[in-house]
Amino acid sequence: MHNMEKYFDVSYIWNSLPILLPFLKVTFVVAGLSMIFGSFFGLILAMMKLGKSKIAQKLANFYITILRCTPSIVLLFLVYYGVPALADNFGLYLHDLNTAVFVVITFTLQFAAIMAEVIRSAYESIEKGQFEAAVSVGLSPFQAYRRIIFPQALVVALPNFGNGLIALLQEGSLAYTIGLIDIVGKANLIIAANYNTHALEIFIALALVYWILSILIEKFFGKLEKVFSKGKHTINTN
Amino acid sequence: MSEGLNYTFLIDTFFIALSGVPITLLVTVVALLIALPLGFLLALTRINQVPVLNWFSRIYVSFVRGTPIIIQIFIVYASVPLILSLFFERYNININVYDINPIWYAFIVFSFSTTAILIEVFRSALSTVNKGQLEAAQSVGLSNLQAYLRIVIPQALVVALPNICTATVNLIKATSLGYAMSLQEITLKAKVAANVGYNYVEAYIDIFLVYIILCSLVEYGFKLYEKRLRRYKYVSA
Repeated sequence: MHNMEKYFDVSYIWNSLPILLPFLKVTFVVAGLSMIFGSFFGLILAMMKLGKSKIAQKLANFYITILRCTPSIVLLFLVYYGVPALADNFGLYLHDLNTAVFVVITFTLQFAAIMAEVIRSAYESIEKGQFEAAVSVGLSPFQAYRRIIFPQALVVALPNFGNGLIALLQEGSLAYTIGLIDIVGKANLIIAANYNTHALEIFIALALVYWILSILIEKFFGKLEKVFSKGKHTINTN
Repeated sequence: MSEGLNYTFLIDTFFIALSGVPITLLVTVVALLIALPLGFLLALTRINQVPVLNWFSRIYVSFVRGTPIIIQIFIVYASVPLILSLFFERYNININVYDINPIWYAFIVFSFSTTAILIEVFRSALSTVNKGQLEAAQSVGLSNLQAYLRIVIPQALVVALPNICTATVNLIKATSLGYAMSLQEITLKAKVAANVGYNYVEAYIDIFLVYIILCSLVEYGFKLYEKRLRRYKYVSA
C-alpha cells in the first residue's frame, strides 16, 4: 500500500486545484473571444449559404467542409506557423505576436464553421409563412426578422450553440501545444516542476475541471432554452 | 521563412504524411470494431434501464463528452503503465512497460472515447424506431434476437448512419493527437520530417491536405452506403 502512494497520491488532486483554477481565466478569455468572432463570421457564412448567389453558397460549403475535415491541432499549427509566414510576404512581422492571438484566430475559424450550420438549420426550421405573415401585417422586413423569425430560431439554435461552445472549450485545451499558459499549460508546468511525477493526479484534476464546466454549460443552456421557449407555448395554444 | 515555400520539401513530405495513413486507419478501424458492438450493447442498457449498467453508461458518456480527448489521452498514458508495472512487479512478469508499442494505448483511448459517443448515437437512433415494430416482430414469432437483427437494427442504422459518419470523421481527426503517445501517425511523421529544416508551414500544409482527402473519402463512402441502406426506410411505411 505504501508502495502505491509513491505513485498515486490523491492529495495532489486537491492541492493542484487552487493553482490551476486561476488559469481558467485565460481559457475563458480565449474561448469567449473565439465565440464572439466565430459567431459573427458564422452568421456571414450562414447568410452566404442561404442567399441566392450560387458562388457564395459553393464558397461557404467549401469552407465548412474543409474545416470539418481538419483536426484542431493541425489548424492550430497551420495558423501558428502559416499566418506569420504569410504576413512576411506583405512586409508585416508577426512572429512575436502573443500566442493567444493565434489561438483565437484558429478557434474563430473553427467555431464559425460550426455556427454556420447551427444558424442555417435554425433559420430553415422556421416556416417561410411566418415571415410573410409578419410582413403582411405591416412589419418591415427587419422588424419581421427581429421580432418573429429571430426569437423562434434562437430556441432551435440554443442547444446546438451550447454543444458548439462545449466543443470549443474542449478543442481549446490544445492551445498549450503552441505555448499558451491556460489551465492545461499550467498543469503541464506543475508536472514539470514535480519532475514528471504525480502527473496522473494533475490530469485527473484537469479532467474534473473540464467535466464540471461542460455539465454547467449544458445545464445553463437547458435553462435558457426553457426561458426562451416560453413564447412558443403561447403561440401554440392560441 | 520569407523566401516562400520550399516546394521540394512540400512534395516529399506529402508522401511522408501519407505513409502515416495506415496507422491512422488501423487505430480508427480497431476503435470502431470495439466501439460499435460495445456502444450498441450499452445503448440497450440505457433504453431498457438495466439497473447498474444504466447508471454506469450515463456517467461514462457524461465524462467522455465533458472532457477533452487530449486529457483522456494524458490520463490513460499516465495510468495504464502505472497499473501494468505494478501488475508485472507483483506477478514477476519480465516485461518493461516502456517497451509496449504506443499503438496499444491508442487502441484503448480511442475505443474508450468512441464507445461513449456511439452509445448516444445508438440510443437516439433506437428510440426513433417505433416500439410497435418490435412487438409486431415478436407477435409473428420472431425471437428477440431475430427481431432486433432483422427489424429494429436495420431501421435504426439508417437513422444512425450520418452520426456514425460524423463520429468516424471525428475519430480520424482525434488520432492526430496520437503524438502525445508518440504514435507514428500522419501528424507526427510529417512533424518529425519538418524538425530538420524548420519547414513547419510546408509540413502542416501536407498534414492538412492528407486529412482533407482522408475525411472526404470517408464521408463519400458513408454517403454511398447510406443510399444503399435507404431502402429499409420505406419498409416500415
